[in-house]
Amino acid sequence: MIEVRSLEKTFPGKHGLLGHDAVKAVQDVSFRIPDGGAVSFIGESGCGKTTIGRILAGLENYTAGEVLIDGQNLATVDRRQREAVLRRVQLIQQDPYQALNPARTIEQALSDPLKVMAKARGADTAWILERMEEVLGLVGLEPQTVVHKYPHMLSGGQRQRIVIARALTVEPSVLVADEAVSMIDVSLRLGVLKLLRDLREKFHISLIFITHDVASARYVGEDGQMFVIYKGMIAEQGPTDDVILHPQHPYTQALLSAVPVLKGLESPGSDRYIPLKELDHGQSPENACLFAPRCPFAQPLCETERPALQGASGHQYACHYPQERHVVAVALKE
Amino acid sequence: MGAEWPLNANTKAVGITIRDLEVVYSTGQGQVPAVNGVDLDIAGGQITGIIGESGSGKSTLAMAIMNAVPHPGRIVKGSVVVDGVGNMLTLDKESQRRARGRNLGFVFQAAQNSLNPLTRVGHQVLDLGRSHNVRDLRGLLRRAKELLHRMGMDADRVLTAYQHELSGGMRQRVGIMFALVLDAQVVILDEPTTALDMLSQASVLEIVRSIHEERNITTILITHDMGVVADLADRVVVMYGGELAEEGETAEVLAHPAHPYTKGLIRAIPRISGDLSQAVALSGSPPDLKTFMQSGCLFYDRCPERVAECQVKRPPYESAGPERKVACFRVMPHD
Repeated sequence: MIEVRSLEKTFPGKHGLLGHDAVKAVQDVSFRIPDGGAVSFIGESGCGKTTIGRILAGLENYTAGEVLIDGQNLATVDRRQREAVLRRVQLIQQDPYQALNPARTIEQALSDPLKVMAKARGADTAWILERMEEVLGLVGLEPQTVVHKYPHMLSGGQRQRIVIARALTVEPSVLVADEAVSMIDVSLRLGVLKLLRDLREKFHISLIFITHDVASARYVGEDGQMFVIYKGMIAEQGPTDDVILHPQHPYTQALLSAVPVLKGLESPGSDRYIPLKELDHGQSPENACLFAPRCPFAQPLCETERPALQGASGHQYACHYPQERHVVAVALKE
Repeated sequence: MGAEWPLNANTKAVGITIRDLEVVYSTGQGQVPAVNGVDLDIAGGQITGIIGESGSGKSTLAMAIMNAVPHPGRIVKGSVVVDGVGNMLTLDKESQRRARGRNLGFVFQAAQNSLNPLTRVGHQVLDLGRSHNVRDLRGLLRRAKELLHRMGMDADRVLTAYQHELSGGMRQRVGIMFALVLDAQVVILDEPTTALDMLSQASVLEIVRSIHEERNITTILITHDMGVVADLADRVVVMYGGELAEEGETAEVLAHPAHPYTKGLIRAIPRISGDLSQAVALSGSPPDLKTFMQSGCLFYDRCPERVAECQVKRPPYESAGPERKVACFRVMPHD
């Protein structure tokens, strides 16, 4: 189980020519993931969702707050234990084209972590080969056909499967998938998403799914929790289907509106709206709603007071004027 | 050609007629037909979406329309007739160059990388104007500003910016501005939203949609994302392995896909409402070198509906109802 309390990450500013101030990438984010559970973080590029994933994978320090992995506090465990704890959390990055060494075959890529595992448990080479076949089988690849190949001989979807197989070699209990399918052809994405879903069900591996695509977040974690992140803060959180079907925050509604409507199969939701303004990366005033500059429903109060999370404990939203709007496309009757 | 562009608000939209187009790439393993005998009519004033996976030849087709296929690709035969311009494949070099930009606007796949990193956006607008003999450069800048403003951007800031100062979504918009600033009547967008997140994608699509309507232009949208086509396009053209698999009116194709590949693409879209178990992944890999060599249907290896005939013969691309064409032996004529 992972528990995160009031996580905060501030990147130091670049004083000098451009004179930037410190950037608050993550502010006051709390969540917990039970074993085998799923949590998705959705938001635009630059909203801080990747930073959250990197902190959990141990690639980034945090400024304040607590991260507990299976009860162990990341900030206080000694180095040895920290390694053992973090081995259980594996990160799958966005770009499968860069995650694999082009000069090494798939066999070589997978055998390195397996050797470490074999040493730890006193197993022999036969175990390594057996385990390699096993993880490749798990990700839906034919071991004999891929082990001797180099990454460039595989499609994007196959490469991402190899990356997942490599993460599985160390028997993780948590996978952090950061935009894991966005570089893959749309036609092959669903296969990788299904794999992540199956791993959750079969092996009870928890999944932290970081994406800008609400639909794929729903596919892998329909029964999980969804966190909508805006400028490092939680805009809305709740059970995935609840957030999608009854969105209260205008930003969540914008993200849902952005999902393409399939002509001939669906009609757009009656309240669908798409903000034309881009996310600005500048500093927001301390006492204003972060989304106010882009919000079509902003009122004077939004400029002077930052809304806190409110709502029933299950489904919460940081908005002064929460209102459910129908932005999700409706299926046409045949 | 004069320096003043006509405002084409009421002129007839420009159509494109492609006949028997063939483009090959010379590789170590021989000649690969990236576009193979494509016949396609692109109706004026409509948004045509061309969809295909990596390696389907969709980008090559787009470049061939401009007669700008990069080396080692080569157009072997066929014709691309643009209304009011002529056959792009036989025009002299200078007329071709003039047509690109003035008649045909192109928004590149990686608009992020298609801008000059060393000069400000505004200077690049002026360069474009000079290379197309625009006399009224001040007017050109004004039009660039209007377009940028129209797309929700601070025009003065963008024109004085270098490309690295703009976000991905903003660069894509700048790319669209370049395609439109000379008042092109045909705009070709190659994967305009691939590197963007959902929200930027939606706003770029919204911009394309509204500008398309305002200016009565012909828009060609090239993408691997069925969702993008389904949302935006009037017509869909499905490409597989360098050939056309299916085309038709968007709503009609989405509701009643005929080709097994089209069906697979539609099923593979994860949805935000409804039953998740309806989403099924498309099996197999996108076409590769070997696929092009086989004599039967290109989709044979991945097809759930294949029959013996499909392995030996390639299905012809035939009419299957009004405004509808399909290349599949299993498709019965519409009732």
